[in-house]
Amino acid sequence: MHIPDGFLNNNLTVGLLAGSVSMLGYCLSKISKSVTVASSRVLANNVSVTGIDSQLGFSENANKYFQRLALIALWVFAFQMFNIPVKSATSAHLLGGVFAAILAGPFAGFAIISFVLITQSLFFSDGGILALGANIFNMAFIGSFLSYYVYKYFSRRSHYPGVFIACFFSVMTASLVCLLELELSDSIMFSTAFKDMMNLHLGMACLETLITLALIKVFRSINGQPNE
Amino acid sequence: MNKKNLVFIIPIFTVLLASLFASKLPDTLETLAINYGFEDKAKKTFSLFSNYSFPFVENHYASTFLAGIIGLCILYILFKITTNVIKSLAK
Repeated sequence: MHIPDGFLNNNLTVGLLAGSVSMLGYCLSKISKSVTVASSRVLANNVSVTGIDSQLGFSENANKYFQRLALIALWVFAFQMFNIPVKSATSAHLLGGVFAAILAGPFAGFAIISFVLITQSLFFSDGGILALGANIFNMAFIGSFLSYYVYKYFSRRSHYPGVFIACFFSVMTASLVCLLELELSDSIMFSTAFKDMMNLHLGMACLETLITLALIKVFRSINGQPNE
Repeated sequence: MNKKNLVFIIPIFTVLLASLFASKLPDTLETLAINYGFEDKAKKTFSLFSNYSFPFVENHYASTFLAGIIGLCILYILFKITTNVIKSLAK
C-alpha cells in the first residue's frame, strides 16, 4: 500500500506531509511526557517524595521503554519485507499498525510506523519521498493511531474480537482513504475502482489479523507485558 | 538460548526468510495501478538499497538479506538518535 511519488497531486502531497510531520512531532512529545511521568512515579515509590522535583527525568524504565519501541519497529520492518501471495498475481504484507499500537500505545504506535515508513522511503525506494505524508497518514494515522481506539472499544470484553475488528478497520479504511487520495489526484475513478480495491485488500486484512494475533502473543511471551 | 535474545533474532530470521521466500508479485496498489493503467505515473526515486537489494552483490538472495539487515540497523540507529534527542530536550 506504499504510494510512490507521482500518483498524488502536489497540493495533496504537501498538505498530508505537513499534517504528518506535525502529528509525528506531537506524538514524540506525548511519548516524552509519558516517560517523564512514569519516571517520577517510579521515584515516588522508591525514593522520598521530596526527591521527585530535583530528580525528574528519564529513569532506567524509560530506557527499557525506548528499547521496546525500537524492537517493535524492527519486527514491523522485518515482517513488512515478507510479501505473501493473496490472489492471483498479487501479494501483500503486514501493515503492523495494530501490532505496534497494541504493544506500545497509539502515540508510540504512530511514531513506530512513521519511522519504518521513513526508513523504507529514504533507503529502499519503498514508497515515495514526497508521498511519505500520504503513506504516514494512511498507515500510521489510520492504520495504527485510529485503529488503536477501535481495538480499545471492541476489546473491553475480550482481546480477540478487538484485534480482529481493528485489523480489518486498519487495512480496509487505509485502502479506502488511499483510493480517495488517488481520486482527488485524478489518478483513478473512485466509483469504478472501489470494488477492486476492497477485493484486493480483503485477503490482506485476513492476513493482517492472523499475523498480528501471532506476533502479539510471541512478542509478549518473549519480552513481557509491555506498557500501553 | 536466552529468551531476551530471541527478540532480536526473530526479525533477523524473518529477513532471512523474506530474502528466500517472499513473493515477487506486485502488491495490492501496484496491481490496481496496472489494472487501471496509471502505473506509468510512478516516478522512480533513487535510494541506496532500491527494491531491497544491496549494491555490488549479484546473488539475489544475499543481496536482499544484506539490504534487510542494513534496514534493521538503520531503524535501530534512528530510534537511538530519537531517544537521545528526546532525552536532551526533556532536560
